[in-house]
This record gives sequence, structure tokens and C-alpha cells, in this order.
Amino acid sequence: MSEERNLRLVQPEEGANIDALLVRVARGDSRAFDALYDAVAASVYGLARRVVRDPTRAEDVTQEVLLEVWRKAARFDRDRGNAKSWILTIAHRRAVDAVRRSESQKRQDHHGAPDEVSHDSPADAVLEADEHGTVRDCMDTLTDLQLESVRLAYFNGYTYSEVATLLEKPLPTIKTRMRDGLIRLRDCLEGAQ
Amino acid sequence: MNTDLHTLSGAYAIDALSREEAERFKTHLDACPSCAQEVRELQAAAARMGAIEGTAPPAYLKARVMQAADREPQLPPTVRHPGGVRSSTRPAWFPRLMVAAAVALLVAAAGIGYSQLRGENAPESQLASGVVRVFDAPDAHEATIPTANGGTVTVATSPSLNRMAVDTEGLPDLDEGQVYQLWEITDDAIASAGLLSDPDAGAAMPMPAEGAEVAISVEPAGGSEQPTTEPIMTVTASEV
Repeated sequence: MSEERNLRLVQPEEGANIDALLVRVARGDSRAFDALYDAVAASVYGLARRVVRDPTRAEDVTQEVLLEVWRKAARFDRDRGNAKSWILTIAHRRAVDAVRRSESQKRQDHHGAPDEVSHDSPADAVLEADEHGTVRDCMDTLTDLQLESVRLAYFNGYTYSEVATLLEKPLPTIKTRMRDGLIRLRDCLEGAQ
Repeated sequence: MNTDLHTLSGAYAIDALSREEAERFKTHLDACPSCAQEVRELQAAAARMGAIEGTAPPAYLKARVMQAADREPQLPPTVRHPGGVRSSTRPAWFPRLMVAAAVALLVAAAGIGYSQLRGENAPESQLASGVVRVFDAPDAHEATIPTANGGTVTVATSPSLNRMAVDTEGLPDLDEGQVYQLWEITDDAIASAGLLSDPDAGAAMPMPAEGAEVAISVEPAGGSEQPTTEPIMTVTASEV
């Protein structure tokens, strides 16, 4: 197993832990930033890889995201959500921007399965599998068109107009399916907690 | 709430709108707290979907990021003033801009000060020079932003040059007696960054100060000490 494939630990208190680290990062604590990197880098890089595909560009996106988190840590508003969502929202936007900046770049036709991952220890693997299983189960509750719309936009970085063209559906349909799909995902994830 | 706009919350939450649509929707969010809440919830759901893709980056990336952070100043927190008391020197649109900036967490990245251009008498020749150099820099980032008067402005930033440039060729022609004026807006003040007497020439300037927004407004010929009209566009370095 290559070390680069190792997934970071995902622990039950992970969310709270990241929130607490971000508070310290906001005060300029570089050790907290070091720990925050360990806690989120795999999620950020994994998402960036999935969207931009190219490993080198995914590294650049990861760096941009972590630096934005460092810069804006003091502006993060805990009343508006958890730190990990905030960081992954930044990661997604940056990854999509990177894809759209190079319009000439040939998009790959197939977006295959994510890289196989390995785990640091069986206990971590179980916890992580729990979360992944929950998310995948919830994704399965979406209709085919909802899921396809959300996936093409989120993981391939397409705009909803591009998704509508690809799926040969009217724009308002895709717009609605995207929102309905995300609402269903949200409700399912909330119910599963 | 506009039904059609409202259905865009899903696409907005997963960055599936064009830049222009996203800008418009962001403006809508500032005025619609329930929409903003929905967007946050959908973003959180999407984030959990994104997190299952986790793959550890190469080990060397961590050192690179730590070193870069070590050189990177942090933004101060946004201080909320209860009761909405505002400085009387600010134009009416100013607080709304600040709310927009806070909501969208889009306040500018760090840079050196703006001191060269601060004050109302920045020489135009200085503004017009070096535009191409910024756009052509190897690390240049560009963004094209629609303006409220139906034009576009393309903004470029170059961290290595520590400069920002605007290509204003896409701005509509003004009537005689009017001029485009460039502003730097910080939490404390609005300072003129100069006049765009020849929009085709664009403008280049030092990277805006930390937390600053750059705005363009239409002013009477000769320029104004403070903006007299609502800006046709605003941008921060981090948006580029």
C-alpha cells in the first residue's frame, strides 16, 4: 500500500475537532494549522482530484484552499455551519474555477471510480465506512435524474446549462432536479444522524 | 421570493452557475436570509458528498502549504456593530457592500498598501501603465465581471508582481461630462484610486490593501472626492 493512498483518520469528534482547530488558526496558531491540514487535506485533495483530474493541478488547488482557510479563518462564522463544510465549499469552488479557467483543456469523457483507498487502522476504517455508507445510501435515495444532475455538476464541474445539454433536458428541469436532489440528500443525511 | 430565482439555490450551492448568474444570485441572497440558509444547508450536504472522495495528497504538499502560510498574513475578523451605526461619511450603498462582502466571505487577499495611489490626485499615466504586464504575468489570475451599466471589466491579479490591473475596454461609452472613477474601499474609508479618462487603456495598481474592495463608479468629469453614484462593479483580489 502506498503511503500516498492512506486516507486520513475520520473520527466521530472530527467535526468538532476541526471547528476547534479553526478557532485557533484564526488566532494565528500555526501548530493548529498544521493539525488542521492533517484533518482536512485528504478530503480537500480528494475532491480536487475528482473535479480537476490532474494530480498536479489538484495539489495547486489544495494549496490555494488551505491558504484561503488560513487567511480567512477569522472571518468564518460558526453560526452559519461547521468548519469542514466551509472548507469543502471553498475547495469545490476553487476546483471548479480551476477547471473552468482552462477552457481549452480537454475534459475527460469518463469520470471513473475514485481512487482506491486504504486505511490507517481497522477502527478508523469502520468509522469512515460508516460515514461513507450513510452518504452513499442517501445518494441512492435520489431519482436517477436528480443524482445525475448533481453528480455532473458537483464532480465534473459542469454548469447546469452544460448538464442540461448533456442530458438533453430542458434547463428548468435540470435546475429543479439539482435543487430537489440536494434537498433530498440534505434531509436524508440529517435524518441519519 | 422570485420562484425562478429560488430554484437556482441548488445550482448555486454546487457552483453550477455561470459567473454572471452566480453574481446575480449572490445579490439576491443578501436580501433573502431564508435563501442564504437553504444554500448553506445544501452546501453542507454537498460537502459530505465531496468528503467521501478523500485521497491523501503527496507528503511534500504539506511542507509547501505550511511554508506558504508562513508568508501569508491573515485577515482580521469582521467586527459587527450592533444597531447598524455607520459613519456619516459613507455613501448609502456602503454598508450593503460590507454586508455582501461578509456574507460571501470574499474580502480581499493580502497585499502591500495602496499608498502610492491613495488620495484623489493619482496621476492617470501611472494608472494606465503596466496593464499588459499584469495580464501577461505567468501567475496572473483573471476574472471578467459584468457591470451594472451593461458592460464588462476584466480584472487580473499577479501575486508575483503584487499588482492588480483592470481591462476596461468593455465599459460602455459615457456621455460627455462623465468619467469612470476607480475607488479603493476599506472598512474605514473610500479613497479615489484615479480616473479612467481613457477606458481603452485600462489601469494597473498595487494589489489592494488587505480587506479592500476595488469599485468603479460614474462621476462628473474631473472626478469626485467621494463616490456620488452607486458603483457599477466591485471586486476584491480574492475574487480574481
